[in-house]
Amino acid sequence: MMDETFINSYRSPQLSKNWLLNLNPLNKINIYIALGLITLFFQHWQVNVVITLVFILLAVAAGCFKSFIGPFLKLGLVIGPFFFIVRAIFWPGENMIFNYGIINITQEGIDLGIQYATIMLVVCGILVLCTVTIKAEDLTYSLEKIGVPHNVSFMILSSLQLIIDLKDKTKVIMDSQRSRGIETEGNVFVRIKAFVPVLSPLFLGAISGAEEKTIAMDARAFSSANPNTHLRFLRPTPALEKILVILVDILILGLIILGVVL
Amino acid sequence: MSYIELKNVSYRYPLAEADALKNINYAFEEGKLYGIIGENGGGKTTFCDLIKGLIPSFYGGDLTGEVFIKGKEIREWESSALASTIGYIFQNPFTQISGIKETVFEEIALGLENLGVEREEIIDRVINVVKQLKIEHLVKNNPNKLSGGQRQRVAFASIIAMETDILVIDEPTSQLDPKGTSDIFEIIHLLKEQGKTILLVEHKIDLIAEYADEVLVIKQGELITNGKTSDVFSDVNLLNEGVNIPQIALLSNDMKEQGKPFDTFAITRSQAREQILKKGSEKICH
Repeated sequence: MMDETFINSYRSPQLSKNWLLNLNPLNKINIYIALGLITLFFQHWQVNVVITLVFILLAVAAGCFKSFIGPFLKLGLVIGPFFFIVRAIFWPGENMIFNYGIINITQEGIDLGIQYATIMLVVCGILVLCTVTIKAEDLTYSLEKIGVPHNVSFMILSSLQLIIDLKDKTKVIMDSQRSRGIETEGNVFVRIKAFVPVLSPLFLGAISGAEEKTIAMDARAFSSANPNTHLRFLRPTPALEKILVILVDILILGLIILGVVL
Repeated sequence: MSYIELKNVSYRYPLAEADALKNINYAFEEGKLYGIIGENGGGKTTFCDLIKGLIPSFYGGDLTGEVFIKGKEIREWESSALASTIGYIFQNPFTQISGIKETVFEEIALGLENLGVEREEIIDRVINVVKQLKIEHLVKNNPNKLSGGQRQRVAFASIIAMETDILVIDEPTSQLDPKGTSDIFEIIHLLKEQGKTILLVEHKIDLIAEYADEVLVIKQGELITNGKTSDVFSDVNLLNEGVNIPQIALLSNDMKEQGKPFDTFAITRSQAREQILKKGSEKICH
């Protein structure tokens, strides 16, 4: 017996109980990117930190804090410090703090490093927030509604899925190598040594799989010239949501102008 | 009129030095299940790709002769029209899932979305096919997390939902366990009962003997023999051509050689059982 509630969920727009999640995916992206743009016009790391906090608050508001914070910290704690170190130890300046060979730590470098590191936190915030608050299929639905061709939206979706598939296949190949007694755990060098031989079966497999997938999609009438329909659909964007997005954009534009003038 | 007709068809892949298919003539009738058998690399999959319209449009190469689908030459068919006429299911269950849908229900609906079918009709058709194939318990699952057997059933469901008249099925059980194989043949049996025209490539010869109305044997690109399943499998010389014969057909042949033939040459277990019971009761009567 099939779940009637589940079947009926396809008869009405895909909605959750959360107002932020219910925003049109393109509007969500608009808000996130507009917030991110502020960092380019205010050259203060404190502004970047505030915007990062706003992203964390948005994740809380969307009820996605747990799924947001893990990937955000993983990504942010790799990219942020990397940019800080590169800027801090190589950037020339007048206020020298430490100098040894090519290492040249200056106050200006540290300031710029903090600036770049916090910008990277904002970028990571945008990326992770997009992934936890926007379903890929909803995004492509919205894109198709504004005229993006069906095959382009398929490419976006299948590229995202390809990342997951490659990750899964890597695990399968590594497991099979481990079962044959090949060392795959240990220090960085051991891991790299074990990972290199994975690459050729992984990518050759992906290439041959791509041909079969093309045939499978052809069997599903993917190349049909008829305008396609959608089983899942989103509600038309409410007027209030449009007003909200316009207001946010105007507000951010105002802040940016203020930042430029100041 | 034949449903699918091949006239003097030969095909050579790009850069190949020999033809993959050689001068094939055959007419498929509506509502029959055709078993296509032969050695690996003999041209069975190429034959399927030809019927599906992937040759030469997808693979390129040189195609000579004519292929008619429902009376219309295959080169004249539009890709989408062909997709809604001929369904294609192949061996790898992992590449037949689109990978872009979150539930099995949506996965089955994908082909219908592409054909532009209205939402309510999509829902009705998907519900019907899900019930037919008894996969109600899978509809909410993520198709990317299913086992090989489950994925293959979803692949069948996706094609059946498109309500094509012809189904080309290429080694659907080669990567499945016995339970998965049995489930798939249950589906094939159901499709046969629905009057679909089915071209089935399969190495499990006992199952071909059980389900196929006619058999075609392809070797090195040539159609070396064809005919009613019982007639084809009663010729044990096929073993010399690298083609397996059902165990029951070998038994029937042994009985014949021992001077105690069955009244009719049995190729399936049920036929043999019937014959043995008949012979047993005759013996008791005498």
